[in-house]
Amino acid sequence: MLEFRDVSFSFAGRRGDVDVLRDVSFTCGEDEIVAVIGPSGCGKSTLLSLASGLRTPSRGEVLLDGKRVTGPSPLIGMLFQQNTLLPWRSVAENVELGLELRGQPKANRRAAALALIRQYGLAGFERKYPHALSGGMQKRTALAQTLALNPEVLLLDEPFAALDAQTRVVIENDVVKICRAGRRSMVIVTHDIAEAISMADRVVMLSRRPAMVKEVFEIPFSRRAASVADVPAMPEFTPYFKRIWDALDISITGMGAAA
Amino acid sequence: MKPSRHLIIVIAGRLLVLAVVLIGAELGVRFGLLSPLFFSSPTQIATAFQEQLDQGTLLPNIGITVFETLLGLVTGSLAGVAVGLLLPQMQILSRVFEPFLMVLNGIPVIVIAPLFILWLGLGLPSKIGISIYIVFFAMFIPVYTASLRLDRTLVDALRVLGASRWQIFRNVIVPSAMPSVFTGLKIGSGLALIGAVIGEFVASRAGLGHMILYASGTLDTPTLYLGIIALALFAAVLSFAIDALGPVLVHWRFADEK
Repeated sequence: MLEFRDVSFSFAGRRGDVDVLRDVSFTCGEDEIVAVIGPSGCGKSTLLSLASGLRTPSRGEVLLDGKRVTGPSPLIGMLFQQNTLLPWRSVAENVELGLELRGQPKANRRAAALALIRQYGLAGFERKYPHALSGGMQKRTALAQTLALNPEVLLLDEPFAALDAQTRVVIENDVVKICRAGRRSMVIVTHDIAEAISMADRVVMLSRRPAMVKEVFEIPFSRRAASVADVPAMPEFTPYFKRIWDALDISITGMGAAA
Repeated sequence: MKPSRHLIIVIAGRLLVLAVVLIGAELGVRFGLLSPLFFSSPTQIATAFQEQLDQGTLLPNIGITVFETLLGLVTGSLAGVAVGLLLPQMQILSRVFEPFLMVLNGIPVIVIAPLFILWLGLGLPSKIGISIYIVFFAMFIPVYTASLRLDRTLVDALRVLGASRWQIFRNVIVPSAMPSVFTGLKIGSGLALIGAVIGEFVASRAGLGHMILYASGTLDTPTLYLGIIALALFAAVLSFAIDALGPVLVHWRFADEK
């Protein structure tokens, strides 16, 4: 279980400290998917960099199974918005990177990588370099790279924003299945309300900067759908979409009024 | 079919240009249209070539300039890569040294050359020193700039996967700099030769630069052309050799074009 407990984050800017996050608290249980939405630039990505151990909260703490996160851990995997595959490594070499960095012997890690490559529909592309892959293939490779370390928690920072609609739904569905099958926790940052409702059990909405938890929406029905693609067709979808849209809209107006 | 025909025409065209220049020079000098003080016919240059070979001076002169150039290129490149990669890892040190390095880089090498002769004498060390000096900057500047513009997301992604500082250096920082190392080598290979020849021009007892300067002073025009041709051929060979290193240094860019 991943727990944010009164997490605040600020950094020293040119004109004093900039508060990004203020007292953010929520949990993401085992086998649970939480989507974080909020106005752009509000600090959603910062939240994930705190959870992944890349940065340390200014106040409060992030706990994984009750233990404070103090740095990167093999239990926590992250998928970034940008393409983070190493251009000078082939697909297979990229997938086994995490295992290599953690000192796994070559034969083991290559076997593990090839198994993941087959599992995620990348067979035949083992020797290709990232620039020769489509955006969707790159994301699959990055996903396989993350899952090679078998993390308990998956953090996704708007990873599918750049993909075309069809590829996006397919890969969203795969990620949800992988999460459910492994009883993993997943936190996905997005600004796409439909994506949030389709994938998540809970949607946490942040306010504008300094971001606080503005509202939490339980999404009880997305889990029942056979596929992520089916969720928008469910009768519950539209009322939830409207509620979240309205809540978000108010904060956008608020930002306009303040400016 | 079509590309190969295209290639044949291009090669035939090049041979034609070469033939026109050679035959033109030969006839021009022979029939007095071109002054032998300023121009030499291919046969005169060939005679000078034979004379220099017989005297046993040509090959040592070529060997000395090649040696100075290659040693300057290798040492200067290695130093440029090392400093270019390591300096950005130490922020404060980097900021302390940056302005000094940039000013040193701005000084024209021709005015630095006499200083190297003063320090290292008339022999090879001063030429190698000048070569190292200019190759260092040709390599350091692009590598240093590339290291400063590193893609931080790649570093973050590796940190999340559990990479140590050394692993990040080896797996991200070094390969990220490789395209710049290649650029540095391309520029540096030309400059290494310039450095060696400038050193020989300023003060020397041997080398192609010395041979050219001496031929110019004694109005031995064919030998002057011979020196220039030898330098041009060496520069071309060096340039081809550096280009061949591309698939080794940046193999991923060449991977899917086979």
